Amino acid sequence: MKGSQFLVKALEREGVEFIFGYPGGAIMPVYDALLDSHIRHILVRHEQAAALAADGYARATGKVGVCMATSGPGATNLVTGIANAYMDSIPMVAITGQVATPLMGTDAFQEVDIFGITLPVVKHSFLVDRAADLPRAVHEAFCIAKSGRPGPVLIDLPKDVANSEADFEFYGSEADSSAAEPDREAIARAAQLIENAHRPVIYAGGGIGMAGAIREFNAFVDATRIPVISTLKGIGAIPTQHPLFLGMMGMHGTKASNHAVQACDLLICIGARFDDRATGKLAGFATGARVIHMDADASEVGKLRHADAPLIGDLKKTLRALTTVAVDGDAWRRQCLSWKQSHAWNYDAPAPGIYAPWFLKRLAQRAPENVIVACDVGQHQMWVAQHFDFARPEQHLSSGGLGTMGFGLPAAIGAQLAYPNATVINVSGDGSMMMNLQELATLRRYDLPVKIVLFDNRALGMVRQWQELFHAERYSEVDLSDNPDFSRVAESMGIPAFRVESKEHIEDAIDNLLATSGPVMAHVVIDQMANVWPIVGPGKTNSEMMDEVRQ
Amino acid sequence: MNVLTLQLRVKNEEGALLRVLSMARRRRFDLINLTADSSADGSFFDVRMTVQAERSAPAFVRQIEKLVDVAHVEVIKSGEAENGARAAASLT
Repeated sequence: MKGSQFLVKALEREGVEFIFGYPGGAIMPVYDALLDSHIRHILVRHEQAAALAADGYARATGKVGVCMATSGPGATNLVTGIANAYMDSIPMVAITGQVATPLMGTDAFQEVDIFGITLPVVKHSFLVDRAADLPRAVHEAFCIAKSGRPGPVLIDLPKDVANSEADFEFYGSEADSSAAEPDREAIARAAQLIENAHRPVIYAGGGIGMAGAIREFNAFVDATRIPVISTLKGIGAIPTQHPLFLGMMGMHGTKASNHAVQACDLLICIGARFDDRATGKLAGFATGARVIHMDADASEVGKLRHADAPLIGDLKKTLRALTTVAVDGDAWRRQCLSWKQSHAWNYDAPAPGIYAPWFLKRLAQRAPENVIVACDVGQHQMWVAQHFDFARPEQHLSSGGLGTMGFGLPAAIGAQLAYPNATVINVSGDGSMMMNLQELATLRRYDLPVKIVLFDNRALGMVRQWQELFHAERYSEVDLSDNPDFSRVAESMGIPAFRVESKEHIEDAIDNLLATSGPVMAHVVIDQMANVWPIVGPGKTNSEMMDEVRQ
Repeated sequence: MNVLTLQLRVKNEEGALLRVLSMARRRRFDLINLTADSSADGSFFDVRMTVQAERSAPAFVRQIEKLVDVAHVEVIKSGEAENGARAAASLT
């Protein structure tokens, strides 16, 4: 058996359903072997989209996403997607072709040191320069990608190794990937902190969903009745409609969540990492609070904020152990809920144009339960986080750590393939859409019924907003008024599209989106000067939220 | 300034030493001293490294422990040094 044939067999054995990729010279042996496999290869139109689609597939399913590219530019084009997966702890295996081993190090055609280039953005990587190492590399790649805190793993495969004949044997059995048991003393300390707290808040992160601890988390919240705030990736850890959910925290968080976190005396951080977008100025973050920090990754605990009770290990076990703790917090809960009520979103928009938050609110109210939203990056991403409703975190696919414009459409493709019957919506902006616009051709090729909501403000809206607020309205390179006609672009790529410009047409547009059986794009024109509110400015604490001054 | 001396056993896998050095650079720990000897059978390296940073030393140790190719980590010395690199030399 050839190395390439073994690789494909090993991928089948790991349960791989899809490979998102793009062929080329050095990876050709693997593409040849794929012809004899039941694994479905999805041909994207740019390798970055292969990595991002694998990422979207992994976020939606919890399984390892697999992408593949050839050596040189194929491999470097994957890098943004690999970094995106690294920053958000997404299980991924990226396979790259490499020039043959005798040519490595000679600056051969399409040779690049992708192993070296990706070192800082992978959980681990393998350069398989001997056929004998291939079985172990493939198996370990999958184990490492999904164990503990998940992340991307690269396998770089030289062409001669892929072509070499050998007697391959499948490597090992499933490694024990169960996370460590939390320390009993730390559990007891945490329980005591919760019992003694008067103003506790739960700070929920993406780690909850990734640990498969949603049920345990909801049981913990319902038993303790402690108010919950979340990070961008923690949205959906409890349903956003849950009475105790105060909203996303941080830079574009709700006022209720930021007031609560700043006033709390105990911060229960679960599967989150004190990211700067969530904490604002760290020195001024929840200054009166003691901290319980639960995480699968020991290196996150105490990295940015001291933990009075560090609980490293399996979130499910930790949460179960703490679910019986009694909490004294009636007055505090009432205070939090009063903030939530008094700062509820106001959707009254006097202008005749479309108010994007209201469009999203209505879309959320009318979308079926099986909806999955894949966002791009910018203002629309924050509006989705603020105004859409999610019952589970895997319904909300958003590039949190890296903030990758162009993530949404490929991620939607990955999610739609995983769940053909789900209503997958890509909410994008005119800046982001142009970053991976070519993937409209992939939607058409596989006839994936992704619904695209493209908010077009003819600007790089988030940068424009910052220049308005923090750079004295000195607008630098944010004008996109020469955008193409997106409807015609979509139609030329076989995607039906329609334009929506006034608020009277919002309901018709949503009807049209949800009633179309195949892919469709709603090109939604919005005000160029619309901003995301509230906002915590750079270097400010979460107590210092700026809000819209309506004329 | 936090100064930290670590003794590591690192598997002799592709790029393993680079990963250790890259972690120090990426996490803003300056390298002061480094020695690495391969084992007799070539299967691992014994590495002694001294780094300094304003940041917390235990956090760096946990980042190094996380590297798949790092088999063992021992903290040899950890402390604060006013004069940074020079003081660190005395710690090693």
